Amino acid sequence: MPAMTETETKPRLDPAVPMVSVRGVGKSFGANVVLRDIDLTVNKSEVVCLIGPSGSGKSTLLRCINFLEVYDRGEIRIEGKLVGYTEAAPRRQLSNRELRDLRRNVGMVFQQFNLWPHMTALENVAEALIQVRGMDKAAAVAHARRMLDRVGLAEKADSYPARLSGGQQQRVAIARVIAMEPHLILFDEPTSALDPELVGEVLQVMRDLAADGMTMVVVTHEMGFAANVADKVAFLDRGRIAAFGPPREVFHESGEPRLKQFLQTYHERNSF
Amino acid sequence: MDLTLLVDYGPALLRGFGVTILCWAAGCAIGLALGFALMLLGRTGLKPLRWAVRAYIEVIRGTPFLIQLFLLYSGGPVIGLRLEATTAGILGLGVYGSAYFAEIFRAGYQAVPKGQVEAALSLGMPYGGILRRVILPGMLVSTLPAIVNMMAILTKETVVLSIITVPELMYEMQTMAAETFATFETILGMALFYWLLVEAVSRLGRRAEARVTRFLTHSSNARA
Amino acid sequence: MKFSVIIDALPHLLGAAVTTVWISLLGVMLGQVIGVLVCVARQSGSRAADMAGGVYVSFFRGVPLLIQLLLIYYMLPLIGIDVPPLVAAIGALSLASGAYVSEIYRGALNGVPHGQSEAALALGFPAPTIWTRILLPQAFRISVPALVNELILLLKASSLISVVGVAELTRTSQTISASNYRPLEIYLAAGLIYLAINGALAAFGALVERRLQQG
Repeated sequence: MPAMTETETKPRLDPAVPMVSVRGVGKSFGANVVLRDIDLTVNKSEVVCLIGPSGSGKSTLLRCINFLEVYDRGEIRIEGKLVGYTEAAPRRQLSNRELRDLRRNVGMVFQQFNLWPHMTALENVAEALIQVRGMDKAAAVAHARRMLDRVGLAEKADSYPARLSGGQQQRVAIARVIAMEPHLILFDEPTSALDPELVGEVLQVMRDLAADGMTMVVVTHEMGFAANVADKVAFLDRGRIAAFGPPREVFHESGEPRLKQFLQTYHERNSF
Repeated sequence: MDLTLLVDYGPALLRGFGVTILCWAAGCAIGLALGFALMLLGRTGLKPLRWAVRAYIEVIRGTPFLIQLFLLYSGGPVIGLRLEATTAGILGLGVYGSAYFAEIFRAGYQAVPKGQVEAALSLGMPYGGILRRVILPGMLVSTLPAIVNMMAILTKETVVLSIITVPELMYEMQTMAAETFATFETILGMALFYWLLVEAVSRLGRRAEARVTRFLTHSSNARA
Repeated sequence: MKFSVIIDALPHLLGAAVTTVWISLLGVMLGQVIGVLVCVARQSGSRAADMAGGVYVSFFRGVPLLIQLLLIYYMLPLIGIDVPPLVAAIGALSLASGAYVSEIYRGALNGVPHGQSEAALALGFPAPTIWTRILLPQAFRISVPALVNELILLLKASSLISVVGVAELTRTSQTISASNYRPLEIYLAAGLIYLAINGALAAFGALVERRLQQG
């Protein structure tokens, strides 16, 4: 579904290398195994949705991709570069400085927005441009304004987060991420903290991003979004990917019993 | 109270008040800076360092300020640390305050929502930048009431410095009381004066608080 | 540093420490009584009582303890009451402590849901019974950690009564170090004794708190 627009695809990207490649990744918290032997490939300009019951490991997997969560086994590569560890044989965790280089190309949108409450919407968007991209203040502010405009919030530029609705806060958070021109955006349940009537405006912004060819990995409970926007859907259950494929296959043709059960309870909860 | 007394002793009292303010301001500055450094040291990965910081804080908070002052002023010269009364007073206030400020900062650091730091990390911001632009402002908001309270407490503690002969207001007042025999009136006046002073510090603090937390008004529609 | 100095002085210091402890305990107990009375008076609905209580709390929390102490020490003889310094000292500690304790209780009372008094009122409880049976027991439970903390604060503050000549730990250390010229050792020893007492109190407080949470 997402149309490939030549403007957003960056010339330096080699289309043969997948954007994200997850191979045999495992992670435990003490005795509790949260991820086991995960394989997942996300190609450029693809939208991949991670669905599954709570506690299935989908948020943990997402957070491993930009190394906010440390994975113990296997490897994750973004555009061919190993995430979080050195390539050399006895692998060593990268320093914070080295991690920064990785993270500047990977945006993340959080469930709780995580805007900085003491900065206006505009300052929230401009901050990383100044600190990470080294832009001067005027240029950063001008760029930030364009980004707020893109998510339809130009007139809220000078509002503090506390004065914005949840949906508006999440759109600012998305503007903060796209301002950095990331190659990939990770969404961690971006609409789960929102009142139902505010979900639509955030999903619309995400649809626009997908249509512009942004590569996105989205942990979500919005099955409609997964069905209509995603190129691939991964169903996680107890730390494993139990089903993976185009939405039509996963939602209608999979024989996986846990998935059927999950979708069943999902339908029941949403019908009235 | 005889007004001529105030004329006679006015300059001395004023000078004393100057010393009080100096000790308080310098003590607060040292305490805040040292307390912040202690908080950062207490967060390092080095266990012995963390223990040392913890021990320092517990010892300072577990002993009376007066004993700390005596140790510094009377005990100091034994190990070659010979300080003037005022210097010892300022240093004492600073050390005493630092333990409490460190605890305030520690709580403030922990109170900054983890997600705000993660958002900054995921944007590739350097730790120094995150500390300066995200954590510190967040800490300022949550710790300001406690900081103001501690500064008000330190205002009161300055009178203890009179015991080690720092020529601050209380000391000058006691000199005056001893020389004029108007002891009770002088002390009553002093009580009222300090009452106002502490009240003023607290008021100013509350105003600063209101300024700093301006942006927190209005609730959001987020369910969390 | 000579440890023998500390050993020699230890019996005196420990004896003085006992004085420090019982003065502080007495201060906190009297302060407890004053604090509860002030708190109840302020919540009684009488504006005058609330105002008077408010001024009391503000004064004793705003004025440095050293000044309060001297004020009481010099005021009592003026109004014809001649008391030993010890009594003035305990009076000052109790009054100061009472101001803090009344605030602790006020905070704790805010933690008791309003619906509980309403339920009691609806059942026809008289006001004093609501206080003694419903509000104060819960407020006490909520405020235990703060009260133990108050005892620790008072114990440290009690070092100030050395200035009116009460022979508690700080005063005794001063006297000893003035005679043996060993201030470093003596004050270190005194500091350690304070630290040990406070540590024990804090541990005791944590224990009581756990007990109350279980019960």
